[in-house]
Amino acid sequence: MKFPGTCIICDEKIKVNEIGLWAKGLGVKHEKCSQIKELRCAICNGSAGCQSCEFRDICDIEKVSPLCICKKCSEEKNPYDSYQKSIKKKLPLLNVKP
Amino acid sequence: MWSEKHRPQNISDMVGNEESRSAIIEWFTKWKKGTKPLLLIGPPGIGKTTIAYLTAKQFGYDLIGLNASDVRSKSRINEILSPVLGNITILGSPMIFVDEVDGIHGRGDYGGAEALIQILKEPTIPIVLAANSDTSDKMKSIKKVVKIISFKPIPPRLMRVYLENILKKETAKLSPGALIKVIDKSKGDIRSMINLAQSLVTGFNPQTEKSFERINIEDGINAFFKANSIDEARGVLYAMQIEPKQKIDAFYSSIITSNLDSNSLAKYLEIISRADVLYGKIMKTQNWRLLRYLNETLIELYQKDDRIRYTRYNLSWPLLNRIRWDGRKIKSLSSIMAKKLHLSTSSFSAICLPYVLFCIKNKKLELELEETFGDIIEKEIELVK
Repeated sequence: MKFPGTCIICDEKIKVNEIGLWAKGLGVKHEKCSQIKELRCAICNGSAGCQSCEFRDICDIEKVSPLCICKKCSEEKNPYDSYQKSIKKKLPLLNVKP
Repeated sequence: MWSEKHRPQNISDMVGNEESRSAIIEWFTKWKKGTKPLLLIGPPGIGKTTIAYLTAKQFGYDLIGLNASDVRSKSRINEILSPVLGNITILGSPMIFVDEVDGIHGRGDYGGAEALIQILKEPTIPIVLAANSDTSDKMKSIKKVVKIISFKPIPPRLMRVYLENILKKETAKLSPGALIKVIDKSKGDIRSMINLAQSLVTGFNPQTEKSFERINIEDGINAFFKANSIDEARGVLYAMQIEPKQKIDAFYSSIITSNLDSNSLAKYLEIISRADVLYGKIMKTQNWRLLRYLNETLIELYQKDDRIRYTRYNLSWPLLNRIRWDGRKIKSLSSIMAKKLHLSTSSFSAICLPYVLFCIKNKKLELELEETFGDIIEKEIELVK
């Protein structure tokens, strides 16, 4: 950056010499802030496909719990059971039987 | 209620907040005397209370559940918790769960927060607190002595998978559009999503655009008494998202002004009276959890009864009309007479009017007044004994 600015995504300052992405009329943002954040699929571990999700308008990616389900996995048979199996595998503590 | 029927039986049956759930289990497995209590923070309806009850069950603790109204005063806290925190207990392995702990701040706190913090500093049994927010000053002091685990709203698509699983178990269906709207309306709150889905599936009408709107009082009361089944009436009742007191008052004024036989009236009023007592109890104790029983009390009013229509006022229409129109005429008459007698309008109507009417009735007095007052004088004379 030649001049200091404020990131339009996180509202933090961007200092001189830091890398920022600038567009005329839009403003500037940090390099890391410009990367599109996506939730992960709890079943296949891939991206949950937030950009094409039917709930895109009502889902606040920054605020929700980080694991979701991608469209493909949600359309499989018994996605709820697959989700439970996958989570138990990922977080073995959830299986603890004291 | 589906939300009770399908309440998860194990921690692993829940959805969302996977890391947080795992962290809670880790805390329980490693718990020993002196371990910092847990504070679960997150919006309502995402499973904080459920997980507290499930972990207690899973780890063999006897859960003692309290809420903000129980921990408002120091004496009340000591009264409830002293026997539990002592060395000898007949409760087995107790665990304390304080729900809605953020509700104790403000005017209602009579030393409760300080007493609670003292207990939290030296825990001898597992203590779990739950709060919707951690921003108040009282929460700042609580946060210093606890381990915080945050709960976030559940992603909508995950909620959809959860809801579809419940609908499958209930062999019920919602149209894809309705499903999306139910999830949208519930804003990450699983309990509210399930309740809304149940009210749509079991009761309130076809799933139309209007099903998702709030019903106003008038339409709500009229639809309630016109409903073809108790489930439909329940759906209407839940869709009337108004202040509880307003809801009770609306039923009361509609019933009291309807042309009902005394037996039906007595039955209806008895139910409304129970709802009013419940509301009074909620206000007195600030135990808002009891609110869930209000609709279940009011649903007892349901009976397909065309005689009951919504009325805003507690008086019947003939009486209201008389007060409104005749009252205006009497006021105007009093104003004219008051000028003649050098009195105030209110003194004339309160003191002199009955005597004037009596004199007119006995033909001892004749007043030269406009013809428009003829009717009202006749009506009032009929009431003079």
